[in-house]
Amino acid sequence: MDQFIEQIVTGLSIGSILLLVALGLSIIYGSMGIINLAHGEFVMLGAYAAWVFHTYLGLGLLASLVPIFLVVAAFGWVIERYVLSLLNNRPLDTILATWGVGIMLQQAVRLMVGSELRYVQLPPALSDSMSVFGIPVSSYRVFLFVVSIALFGATWLLMNRTTVGMKLRAIIQDRSVAASFGINAKRVYALTFAYGAGLAGLAGALVSPLKSVSPDMGTGYVVDAFMVVVLGGVQSLAGTVASAFILGELSGGIAFLQNDTVAKAIVLLAIVVLIRFRPEGLFTARVRA
Amino acid sequence: MSSHLDLRDVSVSFNGFKALNALNMSVRKGELRCLIGPNGAGKTTALDIICGKVKPSAGTVSFDGTALQDLEEYEIARTGVGRKFQVPSVFRELSVSENLDVARARRTSVLGNLRWNIGNAGRADVERLAELVGLTDQLDRPAAYLSHGQTQWLEIGMLVAQDAELILMDEPTAGMTAQETRKTAELFARLKGKHTLIVVEHDMGFVKAIGDVISVMHMGQMLAEGTAAEVEAHPEVRRAYLGSGGISHA
Amino acid sequence: MPSHVPHSSGLQRLIAQLAPLLIVCAVVFALPVLLNNDFLLNKVARYLVLGILTVSLGLSWGFGGILNLGQAMSFGLGSYAMAMALKLKTVPVHTGASGLPDFMVWNNVQHLPWFWEPFRSLSFAIAAGLIVPALVAAALGWFMFRGRVTGVYVSIITLATMVVINLVIIDQQSYTGGFNGITDLAQLEIFGVAFDAYGRATYYLVAGCVLLSLLVAFAFTRTKAGLIVQAIRDHESRVRYFGYDVALYQIFVFALSAAIAGLAGMLYTVVMEFASPTFLGVQLSLSVVVWCAVGGRQSLVGAFLGAVLVAGMQGALSESAAFLETWTLVMGALFVLVVLFLPKGLAGLAQVVLRWIVQRRHAAGRGVAQGVGQTEGST
Repeated sequence: MDQFIEQIVTGLSIGSILLLVALGLSIIYGSMGIINLAHGEFVMLGAYAAWVFHTYLGLGLLASLVPIFLVVAAFGWVIERYVLSLLNNRPLDTILATWGVGIMLQQAVRLMVGSELRYVQLPPALSDSMSVFGIPVSSYRVFLFVVSIALFGATWLLMNRTTVGMKLRAIIQDRSVAASFGINAKRVYALTFAYGAGLAGLAGALVSPLKSVSPDMGTGYVVDAFMVVVLGGVQSLAGTVASAFILGELSGGIAFLQNDTVAKAIVLLAIVVLIRFRPEGLFTARVRA
Repeated sequence: MSSHLDLRDVSVSFNGFKALNALNMSVRKGELRCLIGPNGAGKTTALDIICGKVKPSAGTVSFDGTALQDLEEYEIARTGVGRKFQVPSVFRELSVSENLDVARARRTSVLGNLRWNIGNAGRADVERLAELVGLTDQLDRPAAYLSHGQTQWLEIGMLVAQDAELILMDEPTAGMTAQETRKTAELFARLKGKHTLIVVEHDMGFVKAIGDVISVMHMGQMLAEGTAAEVEAHPEVRRAYLGSGGISHA
Repeated sequence: MPSHVPHSSGLQRLIAQLAPLLIVCAVVFALPVLLNNDFLLNKVARYLVLGILTVSLGLSWGFGGILNLGQAMSFGLGSYAMAMALKLKTVPVHTGASGLPDFMVWNNVQHLPWFWEPFRSLSFAIAAGLIVPALVAAALGWFMFRGRVTGVYVSIITLATMVVINLVIIDQQSYTGGFNGITDLAQLEIFGVAFDAYGRATYYLVAGCVLLSLLVAFAFTRTKAGLIVQAIRDHESRVRYFGYDVALYQIFVFALSAAIAGLAGMLYTVVMEFASPTFLGVQLSLSVVVWCAVGGRQSLVGAFLGAVLVAGMQGALSESAAFLETWTLVMGALFVLVVLFLPKGLAGLAQVVLRWIVQRRHAAGRGVAQGVGQTEGST
């Protein structure tokens, strides 16, 4: 029984990290239709930013979260403005362009700070562990769970209760009609992309104490995040949450029963089958065009 | 002559909206039928049903005795149904002659098409078609460079190339100048008899110029059928068009 | 343009289209005469093989509109087919019973697994290197295209499928050599000719396959089926309404492309003298996309040259780590620029430049013809 609960808690922890990483991708994919292959590199930038703030400015992880968000969001803004906005009607090409951008970011970091692994300290206040359902869990993981839910809530509010969110939803519906009502689609897109990038940066900073930081750390994350988005369904934030935790529990469970490689292969196959039969994801209603 | 194309009680709905509501229509071989009606009457959907783009939720479509409603689009096309879309649909990166060549679907299997067309077997045919639609001097240009009217013409030419028995035309003259529209009317008059045509149009002048029988649709149903004069005099039709200034201004 | 001379114009166009292909192949064949260095020749052969792989992607992506992010899957399958046959031909050093491959002995495998058995025959292996990738692609294509999966989703499915196969190969170490791949291979020998990786014979074998695959791909694009495939790329549903079964055409071009990639994979094993899971890795698969985009996805010769030049450049710079890292950065930038501003790659650029030169010469020629007896300054 204990082992079962432990498994569930591990799954929740994996799920919260997945949600953190996938949230930004989900926003960008769902609203702009862009598969952002540089998403992993935004995560990586966030992790490095945490390391830089700590090493050179002596700032703790929690204190540097807001500046990290802003820095990575600024990167996102520039990339949207000067690369992606030029590719309006070429969705396949945006994959290629963002991938190229990802390579550049990765390589630039490697050239500047080297490819050796870096480590970010746990915030001292969260370095102990606490008891959840009688299972000892690191406080930091509980913190991550809370933060991921909070960021999801904030994003939902932003999309559904603010003017920017409303404008974005209008553009998703019909860009030209939105434009004729005076909505500046270009600006809203740039802001959306920047916000998604900022979220990815936050995710990177937040996971950095758990994993080592390296220039190529993003590759794994982008794949995971992408699976979450595909499973959850485009344009469904709630679906993203559900699928993040389902995948978290699943990969925890399968890894427990099988080895890691088989777990990965099974999850990938499931994704392939899902895309073939329900490209709109598990949690969105079928809508006819 | 017995009916060639037969739609029986065809219904289809999108998210609860009944685009077609037990539509009945039959067309004789060699006829040129015009399909008119106010916006949202279901004219385009009716064409979509015939060519298989949309599957009916109820009812049957039979063409020359073949039931179409359960066939895939390409199978329907092989029974001799061709379709021109409202938004001109051509292969933008291919040249005009290549567009026409693709449309000449004499053989449809992959292996049957694995032969080199280095010879000029089809070239004369393509040139004849290009002349028919006035694109002779554009043969080697990519279709992307054509004007809107020329693109419409190209797609019409492609349908002629396909040589389908039944040709469905969705607003073929949209975006054409008066002169181009007249040329289109002449072309349709020539096609009539050899092919069966169903033409969805808004331009009443054009409809009167080409159509023998006019079918009027309203709210997913067939409202009236007859010659232009009969249809215009029809009280239900007048009511359907009420407020839009009558049928001639639709 | 005069339309009454179609015969000569069709033939002329064919010649004009074939000329770059034949020139490039002539250079490839002539290279050993200029390059008297076996080590370098082996490297060039490697890039040529990658060129073939890129041509195969150009066929499915540039012509068929199918962006296969898992093109290396077919390449890897071909490579393993060849490696399995060559492994069974080695004089066993660490054999168990009946010449078992060394890694199987290490993993306590007692008998040669059934799926290794037929690879004792080289002809079977070569056939398998072409047919297995084609069949796998056809099956995957049937799965995707019958369900009308398009665009981005095709890319994801192909990528994911490749990763799954890659994981399985790494996981099944006792049958596949796992992470280390299959190494210590015998030399390929066909009709008494031994193909030493550093020998001329191997180079000419590769060069011959370059010519062959370019010609096959070119011939396909010139058929009506090739034209229909391009039409599908431009407007899939339109093609359907002419009575073509779109999925079958997509499956065909997808499988043809896989077979060519399988050929490249087999050659790669011969040139590299091993097979490795990295041959069907994400890294290589995405690199092929870059080469193809830079060279020009809608030009077979362009795609080929893109691979040879970019991979060659990378190889030349890899002598120094610092160079290589900067190069990767430059590559990324170059790639983004090509995607943004040269959707048809360097081949597209070359076409524009060529057309411009021809037009200028035409204009100049006409100027001279009209300007007989006029002032000389007009040209």
